[in-house]
Amino acid sequence: MSEDLLLSVENLSVALPPGGDRGFAVEEVSLTVRRNEIVCLVGESGSGKSITAHAVLRLLPPNVAVASGAIRFGGTDIAAADEDTMRGLRGGAISMIFQEPLSALNPLARVGDQIAKAILMHARPRPARAARAARVLELIAAVGLPDPSTLARSYPFQLSGGQRQRIMIAMAMANNPALLLADEPTTALDVTTQKKILMLIRQLQAERGMGVLFITHDFGVVADIADRVVVMRNGRVVEQGTVDAVLRAPKDAYTKALIAAVPGTRPASTASRGITGEPLLSALGLNKTFVTRQGLFRPARRVQAVRDVALSLRPRETVAVVGESGSGKSTLGRIIMRLIEPDAGTVDFDGENFLGLRGRQLRAARRKVQIVFQDPFAALDPRQKVGEAIARGPMAYGAPASEAMADAKRLLARVGLKDSAAGRYPHEFSGGQRQRICIARALALKPVVLVADEAVSALDVSVQAHILALLAELREEMNLAMLFITHDLRVAAEIADRIVVMRYGEIVEQGETQSVFRSPRHAYTRALLDAIPGRRLFAGPGGAASASVMIA
Amino acid sequence: MDTLKAFLRHPTGMIGFVILAAVVALAAAAPALFPDDPWDMIGAPFRPPLSDGLWLGSDMLGRDVAAGIAYGARVSLLIGVVSTLAAVFIGVVIGAIAGYFGDKVDEVMMRVTELFQTIPGFILAILLVTTLGPSLTNVIIAIGSVSWPPLARLTRAEFLRLRGREFVQAAVCQGQPPFAVVLRHILPNAISPIIVTGSLTIATAILIESALSFMGLGDPNLMSWGFMIGASRTVMRQAWWMSVFPGIAILLTLLAINLVGEGLNDTLNPRIARRARTA
Repeated sequence: MSEDLLLSVENLSVALPPGGDRGFAVEEVSLTVRRNEIVCLVGESGSGKSITAHAVLRLLPPNVAVASGAIRFGGTDIAAADEDTMRGLRGGAISMIFQEPLSALNPLARVGDQIAKAILMHARPRPARAARAARVLELIAAVGLPDPSTLARSYPFQLSGGQRQRIMIAMAMANNPALLLADEPTTALDVTTQKKILMLIRQLQAERGMGVLFITHDFGVVADIADRVVVMRNGRVVEQGTVDAVLRAPKDAYTKALIAAVPGTRPASTASRGITGEPLLSALGLNKTFVTRQGLFRPARRVQAVRDVALSLRPRETVAVVGESGSGKSTLGRIIMRLIEPDAGTVDFDGENFLGLRGRQLRAARRKVQIVFQDPFAALDPRQKVGEAIARGPMAYGAPASEAMADAKRLLARVGLKDSAAGRYPHEFSGGQRQRICIARALALKPVVLVADEAVSALDVSVQAHILALLAELREEMNLAMLFITHDLRVAAEIADRIVVMRYGEIVEQGETQSVFRSPRHAYTRALLDAIPGRRLFAGPGGAASASVMIA
Repeated sequence: MDTLKAFLRHPTGMIGFVILAAVVALAAAAPALFPDDPWDMIGAPFRPPLSDGLWLGSDMLGRDVAAGIAYGARVSLLIGVVSTLAAVFIGVVIGAIAGYFGDKVDEVMMRVTELFQTIPGFILAILLVTTLGPSLTNVIIAIGSVSWPPLARLTRAEFLRLRGREFVQAAVCQGQPPFAVVLRHILPNAISPIIVTGSLTIATAILIESALSFMGLGDPNLMSWGFMIGASRTVMRQAWWMSVFPGIAILLTLLAINLVGEGLNDTLNPRIARRARTA
C-alpha cells in the first residue's frame, strides 16, 4: 500500500502575508495521491485548492510560504528540499498544466521547439537532435493532435484553445512524470473540447500509471474523471472519499451545496411559462464576415461568423443560443446590440427597423436592449465607482443625478448587494458580486430585452446557480425577454424556454428546451448533449427518462 | 494617493525628483541670486571659477557663467514644459480620434503622423525656426510640432486596446454619447502611459531647445544653456568652464527628468506597481 503512495501532503499550512483577511491560505490540509489514480481537489475560488497544488512544486506567489507540515513525494519531504532539487522535479517527475494555455506558452516560439526544450531541461544524457525531434512528434501524436509535423511548426496563436491545452499536456508528458498536477485545465474550454481533454487525461493516466491531482470547481467534471475526491473550503479539507461515496452520499453540508449547484441537476422548469404573442424582436437573414488583411500580397483572411441567421424573441421569452467558441453566437448577440454592424440582414425590434436607426434615434432605442457580458472583471470600468456605473445610464437619458443614484442603490439591494456598495470601486468585489453589479447596470435602463453573453460562464458553479436564479426572478419581475448566449447546455436548460444551437455561424437546430433535450435532431446537438460533464452521475434535465434517451 | 506613496518609496525616482526640484528652485530664485541681467558684463573676461567672487567664472565678454546657468534654467524649463503640453495636446487629440473612430479616419490620421515621423525632427525644427524667426513662441511651436507623433501613436494604441474592452462597450450600450465615453472611460484608463511619455518628452524638448540655441537659433533676448555652450565652443581649450558648466546643467536636468519619468512608469504601471507592493 505504502509502495503505491506517490504524494502525501501532511498537515500542510500555507501562510498568507500579514494584513490579509485570513492568516492562512491553506490550513492543516492532508491528502494523498497514489500511483495510477486521479484525485480531484474541489472547491470554489479562494478555497485554497490551487495554493495546495502550487505548494507541491513550490510555485507560490511572493510572500506566501509553507508554514508547517510536510509534502512527501516518493518518500522524501520536498517541502524542505533545496531549490536545485525542486528545479529537477518541476517538469521532470512532477509536471503541471494550467487553466489558460495561451498565457502558459511562449507566444514567439514554435510549439515543437517548446516541447523539445522541456525534454532538454531534464533528459540526461542530452538526446540527439533527431531523437528529440522524433520524441516531439511522438508526444504530439500521443495527445491526439492531427498531422504532428505541421503542428510542431505552428505558433501558439495559430492553434485553438483545445489544441493549445493538448500541447501543454504534451509538454507535461515529455519526461514521463510520475505525478501530474492539473490546475483547472478545462475551465476555459467549451464543453465538447472539455470532454475530449478529460478523456485524453484519463487515457494518458491509465497508459502510464500516473498519479493525477486534478483541480476543479465543477462537480460534473469530478464525476467524469475522479477516482477520489477531496473537497476544500476556506483553506481546509471538509470531506474526502471515493467519488461514488462523496457524490452519492455527501456527508458535509458544503459538499451537498456544491453538488446541488451543478447546473442540470435540478429538474428543469417543465411548466410552460405561457409565452405567446407576436415576436418582439425578429432578425432575418443576418450575415457577417470578418476580413483580416494579411499584408499587401497575401489574400485577406475571411471568416464568416454569422450566416443567414434568423431568430425571433417573443415578449417575456428566454431564448438560449448555444454553441462552441467560434460558432458565431457572440457575434449574433453583438449585432443585436448594434455593437457590430452586419453585412446583410434586418432586425425588426418593436415594429422598428433597428438596424436603420442612426445617431439620436439609435441612442433612444438602445436603452430598450441591454447586455450583460461574460467577464465581470473586464465589464466594469476599474476607475468608476459602482453606483456611478449604474446611474450613468439613466442620466444619459436625462434622469436627474440624485434620482438615478437612488435608483442605483435600490437596484444594488435588489440584486443582493448592500446599497453602500454604490460608493466602492469594482476591485473590491468578487466575480459573482461584480456580475450582480453588471446586471443592475443593465436593468437600470428598464430594458425590454436583455442579452446575456456567457453571463455565468466565468463564474464558479455555485455562484453560477445564484446568478441564474437571480436572472430568472428578475425576468418575471420586469417582464424581460432574454437572449441567453452560452456554450453550456446545462445552463441553457436551466433558464431557457427555447434553445437555438449554432455551429460555424449557422443555426443547426432550434426548438423548445424540453424537445431539444429529449429528441435532438441534429448530430451536433447530440454531440453537445453527450459532452455534458457528470452524466455518469447526474441525469440530465427532464429526469431519468430523458437521460436514457440521451444515452441511446 | 497610493501612486504618490509608491512614488515616494521609489529610490531613483526620488533622486530625480530632488535634482529636478533643485533646478526649479534655481530657476525661481534666479532674480534674487543674481539681480544683474545675465547679459551684463560684471567682471573681467576669461576669469576661471572661484575668482573675483564669480563661482563659476566669467565668459569671454565678462558675463557671469553662474547667472547664465540660473537664467538659462528658466528658459529651458519653460520651453520644455510648454512645448510638451502642446505636443501632448496635439498627440492626444489626433491619437484619440484615430483610435476611437478607426477605419478610414485612422488611416488618414496615421498617414499624416507618419509624414511627420519620416522627416527628422531636429531638421524640421530648424526649418520651422528659420522660417518663422527665432522667438520664444516660435521655438515652442517648432519643438511642439516635432514632438507629438510618438504621443499620437501611443494614444491611438491605447484607445484601440480600450475601445474593444467590455466596459467601454457597456458604456456605449448605456446610451452614453461618444464624447462622454472617451472622456469618462477611455482617457482615464489610458492616461498613465501618456503621462510617462509626456514627462520624457520634456527632456527631449529641452535637448532640442539647447541644440537650437547652440546653433544660434534660440531667442536672442533670452540666456540659454545651449547658447552659452555654442558661444564658448571656440575657446573651449582655453576656458573649459564656459561650456562645461552649462553642459553639466543640461545633463543633470535631463537625467533628473528621465529618472522621474522612470519612477512614474514604475508606479503608474499596475503590473510593476503590484510587484513592488508584494515584494
